[in-house]
Amino acid sequence: MQQGKMHPIHTCNSIRPFKQRKSLASRMEEVIGIRGKFPTKIPVIVERYQGERFLPLLDKTKFLVPQELTMTQFISIIRSRMGLSSTQAFYLLVNNKSLASMSLTLAEIYQDYKDEDGFIYMTYASQEMFGYFLATGKGKCKECLLKT
Amino acid sequence: MNSVSPASVQYLSHDELPHSDGQQCFRSRAGSHGESCMRSISAGGSAHGQHGEPDKVDKIKCKFLSVWNKVKYGWTVKSKTNFSKLSPVYLFGYIYHFEQEEDVERFQKDFASRIWLTYRREFQQLEGTMWTTDCGWGCMLRSGQMLLAQGLLIHFLGRGWTWPDALLTSDLAENEPEKSASFSCSSTAHLHQTPPLPANKRRAPVESWTPQHTYSPDELEKEHCHRKIISWFADRPEAPFGIHHLVDLGRGSGKKAGDWYGPSITAHIVRKAVDCCSEAGSLVVYVSQDCTVYKGDVANLANRSEDKAAWDPRADWSAVIILIPMRLGGENLNPAYVDCVKELLKLDFCIGIIGGKPRHSLYFVGYQDDFLLYLDPHYCQPFVDTTQENFPLESFHCNFPRKTAFSKVDPSCAIGFYARHRREFEQLCLKLTQVLNSAAVKEKYPMFSVVEGCSQTYGLDEPSTHFSQQTLQTQRLIKRDRVKKPTAEEFVVL
Repeated sequence: MQQGKMHPIHTCNSIRPFKQRKSLASRMEEVIGIRGKFPTKIPVIVERYQGERFLPLLDKTKFLVPQELTMTQFISIIRSRMGLSSTQAFYLLVNNKSLASMSLTLAEIYQDYKDEDGFIYMTYASQEMFGYFLATGKGKCKECLLKT
Repeated sequence: MNSVSPASVQYLSHDELPHSDGQQCFRSRAGSHGESCMRSISAGGSAHGQHGEPDKVDKIKCKFLSVWNKVKYGWTVKSKTNFSKLSPVYLFGYIYHFEQEEDVERFQKDFASRIWLTYRREFQQLEGTMWTTDCGWGCMLRSGQMLLAQGLLIHFLGRGWTWPDALLTSDLAENEPEKSASFSCSSTAHLHQTPPLPANKRRAPVESWTPQHTYSPDELEKEHCHRKIISWFADRPEAPFGIHHLVDLGRGSGKKAGDWYGPSITAHIVRKAVDCCSEAGSLVVYVSQDCTVYKGDVANLANRSEDKAAWDPRADWSAVIILIPMRLGGENLNPAYVDCVKELLKLDFCIGIIGGKPRHSLYFVGYQDDFLLYLDPHYCQPFVDTTQENFPLESFHCNFPRKTAFSKVDPSCAIGFYARHRREFEQLCLKLTQVLNSAAVKEKYPMFSVVEGCSQTYGLDEPSTHFSQQTLQTQRLIKRDRVKKPTAEEFVVL
């Protein structure tokens, strides 16, 4: 596992969610445009969970994914883009559920969870850590504040 | 469900009791043990107040430490647990109906026989650090230890084993207010109200554990095994599953003493610890990746015969603990999973869930209605030297069950299962598939899946090489193809 990845990342630097950056109309337009060009590919938005403190930000948020790709394959692609080891916790959530049916294809998931704008929104997160902050250092107290 | 009702069996701690009840309760205890009311309260921590009596200074110290523990580790959250008599209670797959008094007793005995591991202090320094305690940061590791301990209990002693000395008072099952109140004193006061006393004050100095009854030779052997298992979790560097070794193993995952741990990291630490332990018999730990249990991988891991394929009926299998780290929602536990969690906790194979409430790790051991039963590691106890013959066992068992609503549970967790041999593993897979699919009738996306084959077949073992090249190439192609420079707003075409 990569040591650097384990250090908490400050969440305040993260950019606003895609949905908030663009209007519904422009998002819909975008989907129609790209679906016209790539009819067999699915437009997926992958964003970091707002409370995530360990996984890095992805360099890209918009993916065009072959519809027959399985979740197993898709998750390995995202994992490798982040350089995560196989033991590092990584979960893709759609609609507050973690996608654990790895044999499902993107087309099937798209059918179930397609947003009104035509994208499918996925959030990635690792796992929360457990413990109590004691008065052991300023840094930790700061983390605590960030979290609550 | 949580309200006090005559129809419910009550486990009360005296700090939440109405004053009059409290008085009654202390009087009844004082009568039975020939102790004064006050003594009974403050000596709760010293093995039911039967042993060494703390002096005044200790009493003040007690009070202070009690408040300190509460403030620090959240012991105030709720110290009264009511159980409904109407619905069944599940504990590691065993079912108990509390309308039957004998079931309440059996449950108590079962619960109190589980190994309880908590924060400890005054142990030998963790290597290369100043830490002599894990108070405040080690709770998830403690939960992980408890889960492994439960696996080992089943492995060596079977699910049906109970500790003959499990702290059991005969009037626990009674429902009259006075009696249940007296239960509250005997069972909870020492857990919640009275803080731990220095080891030498807990019991008479140098006193060792004396069994409460005579053992049969079979029981004696099992007792020996029980002690041995506990000693593997001792807070000393030599113990295979002690905090020292676990912290060491966590270094590989970028963790160090004082850090917070998550369920997934803890699952891998437990796996490594069992890997390096020769004493644990033929036991292996499998940790799933991406919420998927690959049956082929488990089989290859468990297969001990060199000349036979894992699925050969004559192949010799190790027992296997399967750990599945999960994230059951973003901020909160997604209610869609609750039914499935309940069904899984009903399975004999289940050895519990390590998770907790946000930032507060707990070991979930069963459920009733919409509440999870748990063992809580957030109680700072002094180090116990397990190398001494007949070291005291009481601090390694908890006879006070607690529960928390599913809605308060953190979505990050790891569930554990134990299968003794190949046949049991096959049964387990069958059961899991049934449960996951039955829950999936309502919920198409299961908590996790059990699939044939190995992860390698799916290209998971080397994801970075195969796929990243592919995506990088695609990216390069896009870059070449397009006139304008790609920005963060561009699609990545896979």
